[in-house]
Order: sequence, then C-alpha cells, then structure tokens
Amino acid sequence: MREPSLLDRLVERVTRRVAQKSSRRGFLARLGATVVGGVMLPLLPVDRSGRLRRAHAQAFAEQAQTRDDTACNYWRYCAMDGYLCTCCNGGVAECPPGSEPSPTSWVGSCINPDDGQVYLIAYRDCCGKGVCGRCPCLSTEGEMPVYRPQLSNDIDWCFGAKSMVYHCTTAGLVGRA
Amino acid sequence: MQRRGRILCTATALVLLAAMSATARQDIEVLPEEARLVPEEAFGTRVLPAPTPHWIYVLDVAFDNLVASRVNIFDGDSGDFLGVLHSGYVPNVLPAPNRREVYVVETYWTHGTRGRREDLVTVFDARTLEPVAEIPLPQGRALIVSKQPVAQLSDDGRFLLSFNLSPATSVSVVDLEARAYVGEIEAPGCSLVYPTGARSFSMLCPDGSLADVRFDASGTAEVVDNDPFFDAENDPVFEHAARDAAGRTWYFVSYDGRIHEVGYDARGRTAPRESWSVLTEADAAEGWRPGGWQLVARHPGNGHLYLLMHKGPKWSHKWPGEEIWVLDPEANRRVARIPLEEPAVSLAITGDDSPLLVTLTDTGVLSVLDPGTGERRRRIEGAGVTPFLLDSFAP
Repeated sequence: MREPSLLDRLVERVTRRVAQKSSRRGFLARLGATVVGGVMLPLLPVDRSGRLRRAHAQAFAEQAQTRDDTACNYWRYCAMDGYLCTCCNGGVAECPPGSEPSPTSWVGSCINPDDGQVYLIAYRDCCGKGVCGRCPCLSTEGEMPVYRPQLSNDIDWCFGAKSMVYHCTTAGLVGRA
Repeated sequence: MQRRGRILCTATALVLLAAMSATARQDIEVLPEEARLVPEEAFGTRVLPAPTPHWIYVLDVAFDNLVASRVNIFDGDSGDFLGVLHSGYVPNVLPAPNRREVYVVETYWTHGTRGRREDLVTVFDARTLEPVAEIPLPQGRALIVSKQPVAQLSDDGRFLLSFNLSPATSVSVVDLEARAYVGEIEAPGCSLVYPTGARSFSMLCPDGSLADVRFDASGTAEVVDNDPFFDAENDPVFEHAARDAAGRTWYFVSYDGRIHEVGYDARGRTAPRESWSVLTEADAAEGWRPGGWQLVARHPGNGHLYLLMHKGPKWSHKWPGEEIWVLDPEANRRVARIPLEEPAVSLAITGDDSPLLVTLTDTGVLSVLDPGTGERRRRIEGAGVTPFLLDSFAP
C-alpha cells in the first residue's frame, strides 16, 4: 500500500465526518448555509473511497490513451458523462467560446497509462449555453447514484455558475491521487 | 358567414393580444380573404378519449437539446401515437391517480437557453393535452438527467414532492388541489423521494440509510434517521426501485445484483426486511449484473419483479439490459428469463389486471411484451431521440 497523501487524509477525514450519523446533519446544514454573493456554493465532501481502488480504474485504463483528448477513451475521461468540450472548440480544461466554467465539479480517479499513476480528475461543466452536442461520452468507472452527488455524473454540475444551462464537460487535472 | 368569420377572427385576435400583451402583434386583417376561408366541413381540435392504464408516456429528454424535451404518448394496445406534451429541462412526468391530469415538473429559461430561470409544475389535461395550470416552484428543483424518484406524488395524489439539490438537499411540497406551493422540507444530505403513504415518504442518504419523512398539509415535517441497510461504498442501490404499495414494501436493487427489501408501517417508518442476490454462482461467473436506467418494475398481479440484466464488468451499471429476469421476491429466486431482441435501457409494467410489459431502447424503440410469456406483441419506432423514462396511469 502506498502512503496516503495529504489530500487523501483530508478527504478521508471529511468523509468520515459525513459518514458519522450524529454529525451528518449539522455538518451539511452548515455547508448549506455557506452563501457567497447570493449563490450557494457547493462544498460537498470529496469522497473518493470507491474510486481509488486501482482495480476499478483499471478496466478503463486498459483501453485508454493519452494522445487524443477528443476521443471518449482519453485517459482522463474514466468517469465522464456528457459532451466533450474538446470537440466544441474548448479544451480539456477550458470552456468553449461563450460558455462559463462551473466553479464546481464531480470527481473521478483515473489511471494515466503512460506512468501507471492514479490522478484525481475534476469533471467541470461549461455552462450558460445550450448543449454543444458533439462527442457524447459516457464512462461510469466508480460512478455512484445521485444520493452520493460528488460521485454522480447524472447531475447538472453548473452549481455556482451564472446559469445552470449545460453546454459541455471538461476534465481538469487536480493532481496525483 | 364571411362576416361572422371575420368577427370571430377579430375577436380571437383581440383575446390573443390581450392575453399576450408583450408578444408580437398579429394583424391577420391584412391577409387576403382567401387566407381566412372557413371550410364547410367541421374543423376543430381532436380530444383524446379517457386514458387507459395501457397508455404509455415516453419521456424523451432530448439530450442534444435539453431545454426542449417532450413526452410522446402511445397506446400500448394499438401501438398508435396519441399525442405529445412539450416539456422543459430534465423534467419529471407524473400521471395523476385520478387519470384526468398529467403533471410535468420542469425548468425553463425565459429566452430559451438564456434569461431568467423558472421552475414549475405544469398541470396538463390528459384528454386535451392543454396546460390548465402552472404552479411555480420558488425553491427550484434538482437538475438531474430525469429519474423517477426525483419527483413523486403522495399516495392520495394530493401532494407533489419534488427533490431539490442546490446542492443542499430538500424536498418542495406542492398542494395539487390548491394548485399552490406549500413549503420546503429540509433533509440535509439525503436525496430523492420514495413515497410510503399519503403524508409520508423516505429519502436515500449517502451512508446507505433511509430518512423517513412525515409531513402535514401545511408542509410541517418530521424527519427520522435510520441505520444503513446497504453498503453504499461497495455495492450501492440504483435510484430506480420497485414498490408494492399494498404490501408496504420497497424493493431496491444494488449494482451487484442484490435485492434489498424494505418494509414500512402506516406512519411511514421504514425497516429493512431482507436482502438476497438475484445471481447464482454460475450467473455471477458469467458476468451477469443489473443495469440500465429505469431498470426494475413489479407485476401488480403476482408480485414478481422484472429486472434488466446484462453481461458486463463492474461499473457497467448503465449498460442496457440484454435480458429481463423475472424474480419471485417471496421465494427469493428467479422464475423466468426473457431474452430481448433489442437491448433496453428502461422497462415498465402497467398497473392494471392484464398488464403490459413495456421496454425502451436508447434509440427510441418501444416494445410491448406479454409479461407472462415474454412474447413481443408490438414494436414501435420513433418513441424518442434520447428517451429515458416510461410512465402510465394507475388503474
């Protein structure tokens, strides 16, 4: 087993707090009260426990590649659900013209086949324009139902953006998991 | 006749203009008379007959143009297309128990994909397909690719319960009789709506437990936590579940093929009963697992569960079903397998005494099957471009 990183420890601590029945309500209620500029910012705990098991990410990684970010099997898209912003004249971490990056995201842990390492990926929707409609991709590696929102890719993740209208999805690199 | 026609047209135009004062003018008077000829034969708008439990409401979320979804309505007996309800962003469709109305919970922006956001419950007349009331949802609603437990009706049909994800979680209560928003029930961290009575429902929480909610007509609620009944880390349950209302049981299905039976009492307090696997060791070795979207339904007569199954690896939980497995939840075993000619993402069973089994492919092929023999009676193309959900009226 590798040594847990600082991020891992932080995440696990938050997850444990949420998992504790007694503190769940109070904790999330406090989160719910965090209002910035009139927009409720989601600060749901990042829970990656299900995703960090290499075996889970492995199936996607086996057919993944690191060259073409407009293909569904690009390594960062292991938990992608939506239209690729890279096919809509955006980037893997850049929104297409006229759309706005959501400040919030769901997460996945994907293996980079070049170095075999697990990386934390933030799937960030670009918002404020209608659906781009190019390169639909659905990957469900470690994807959870909507009652575990941070790991669910069926949710419109434009929380905190000016508009909840969904355009496309990016896959930003957070760091080594 | 011509004069009367003109007066009628003028009157109609005036009414239209008065009703839509901010919209474009309609000066049909400038059109030549031929453009306003009144045919001799009767000419009007068709009204549907009284709906039957075999009418199928197919929700097409229109994934490539989410702001303009639609509900295509088919007669499962004849295969006929009956009409369409146009709907907004990731809506929920709820046929009313009284069979006179269909509720659509939906979201719009005033300028299509731009402008002010509006969330509402639209009440459609089931026979004219006209909107007869609009009830605003001031707390918005969860914008999730449409799943049935995102909005549900109380058992008596009086209240509509709409899940909110802002991303703080709560449920909006709408009084359909009064056509009014009543209030918001806070249920921090817990999601979705599983009705358990006329004034109660439960919600799924991230730790694998249910929160039981009792509410009254004023929207005042009491929320009770329970212990986890499934392993939310390693084997979560799908959002779509099947219910036996008379037997007060919910059947939840897990990714790895376990059925979790949860009973509830008259006050809506839940208690897990048992859980069992639909897979034998041989099934598991072959890689069978449940999957799809609306993946489970209960036969109202014999109580069997119909579950979409496919062969695939772990995390293939959204793959369409190659077979339907018919399960007896009394004996905890499979009683039949129905191979599907076309893999299906969703299925439903109508609620009447001689029910239809209906399946839907992600390319919009609707199939009507005999739930007893599994024989396909009808194949209907064009049910939608990216359809997800099937609804019907209770008998």
